[in-house]
Amino acid sequence: MRLTRRQIGRAVVFAILAVVVVVMLFPFAFMAVTAFRSYDQYLLGSGFSLDSWSVLFDAIPVLQQLLNSTIVTVGAVSLIVIVSTTGGFAFAKLGFRGSGMVFLMVLAGMMIPMQSIIIPEFVNISTVGLVNQFPGAILVYAALGAPFATYLMTTYFRGIPGELIEACVMDGASYWQIFRKIMVPLAIPAITTVAVLQVIQVWDDLLVGLLFLQTPDVRTITVGLATLQTSRMVNVPALMGGSLISALPAIIVYLIFQRNLIAGLTMGVNK
Amino acid sequence: MTTALEPAERPSPAGAGPVAPPSYLRKPQRRAGILFALPVIVLELALLALPIAQAVYYSFTNWDGLKATWIGLANYQRLFSDSTFWRVVLNNLLLLAAVPVAILIPLLVAYLLNEHVSGWRFFRSAYFLPTAISWVVIGMVAIRFFAVNGILNHLLDAVGLGEINTNMLGGELSAMAAVIITFIWSVFGTNTIIFITGMATLDREVYEAARVDGAGAFTTFRLITIPMLMRFIQFAFILTLITAFTALFSLIFVMTGGGPGYGTTTLEFYVYQQGFTVGAFGYGAAIGIILFLVVFAISLAQLRLFRSRLD
Repeated sequence: MRLTRRQIGRAVVFAILAVVVVVMLFPFAFMAVTAFRSYDQYLLGSGFSLDSWSVLFDAIPVLQQLLNSTIVTVGAVSLIVIVSTTGGFAFAKLGFRGSGMVFLMVLAGMMIPMQSIIIPEFVNISTVGLVNQFPGAILVYAALGAPFATYLMTTYFRGIPGELIEACVMDGASYWQIFRKIMVPLAIPAITTVAVLQVIQVWDDLLVGLLFLQTPDVRTITVGLATLQTSRMVNVPALMGGSLISALPAIIVYLIFQRNLIAGLTMGVNK
Repeated sequence: MTTALEPAERPSPAGAGPVAPPSYLRKPQRRAGILFALPVIVLELALLALPIAQAVYYSFTNWDGLKATWIGLANYQRLFSDSTFWRVVLNNLLLLAAVPVAILIPLLVAYLLNEHVSGWRFFRSAYFLPTAISWVVIGMVAIRFFAVNGILNHLLDAVGLGEINTNMLGGELSAMAAVIITFIWSVFGTNTIIFITGMATLDREVYEAARVDGAGAFTTFRLITIPMLMRFIQFAFILTLITAFTALFSLIFVMTGGGPGYGTTTLEFYVYQQGFTVGAFGYGAAIGIILFLVVFAISLAQLRLFRSRLD
């Protein structure tokens, strides 16, 4: 009798969790189904068609903007990984006069909301002629992502024993060799976490792209999609197709690297 | 993977980490330290420290992007008499009021997930999925959910409540409610993961003991789970609040454009409007500084919470 009551309890828990799954996944199902309907079929509520894809491809240069997103994301994430790995090694293992203070200053960067600096940032970037140029957006994304990445890498490097470095120095290795041959290989899990977090961050961002990459040929797909909506396009299936195509790369990254995302997220509390 | 990321020794919050080398090595090591730290320092100085300093300076001017004349505190004084600004602050307060809901629902669901019924790993992955999706895409679907001919009204129709024909995006308060519901939906997975991680650290024996003593599920939740998860709840609260204040620009941009009226304009959106729609760079910078101070205060509160735990 007691056993069955427990089983009933677990069945209720399962049912509640399943309902929550429906609530969480329904929007994605709606997006995927709607993308493969024509506008009339959408109003009707049934049918299958590829019509809206041509509407979408006529409205914005989808492939070009996917490529732009890729360029910006790869560029920014590479830069973030480089500066946070070298920086983390310096702050955690080498040190210099005032390095603790400098490290705290870099961390303070995490407290600055993008919106608080965006106006002067925009004026500065346009002064040096980098608006509508990929390097401009890449630099801004890198500067915004680097503080948290540096925090993560520094924390990770602190866990690597210092004797390892001393031994290598005794053997005559340069600090660059120690970094390249020992530190980077040891830090691959942390580097992966940094990269995955930042790929999703940059790919999904609107504000920086909106301001720093304004012309349609350099826009990222996220910005292209947002401008479709604000241009009052009424073809919902085409909009859902655009949403699907812009979300797909992030979903794939998520499915492969879910563990790293969770690890990065919970870094903050496990201290 | 999570455990692999945790450092062997518990690091102190300040920068005391580097190894003390034998004295004849100190100088080369420090020189290397400066060289390795240089890229991130230069990047942050040029693209974060410089613009925040400029934002502070220009908030005391009537900057239009080209010319800036010093006007002292005029921008900040103007905020007090700007009725739109107070409308915007009210919207931020509404977001703040939504945060407890955005905490409580994931907390309850995480508690159920922790029962580890069959399929719980799949459930967890499904809940976390929106974390990977851009606010733009989420906003795109949310519009179709709340629209007059949208999913919500179809659902109401289907359950026989067709006479309640909602037009949530049409009214100021209801549009804000739509944004808030979408926000709660979006952060649900992140907070659930935080609480699941927390619950994994709890001792299962405590639960067994409570069960033996005859405590029901609700009592266990209230008297054991919540108190023992307090630091995770605090962390989730701060993270959710900062997300609400600084990460909803894209959602609002796509979903409502800040309207109707100023119904869904929050501080971060007001900075954008003043700066890039109106062209009032100086005034926009001042609003940005207010936002920075708010986030700074929240972050300090977080530091204090974490400090007090260590004592």
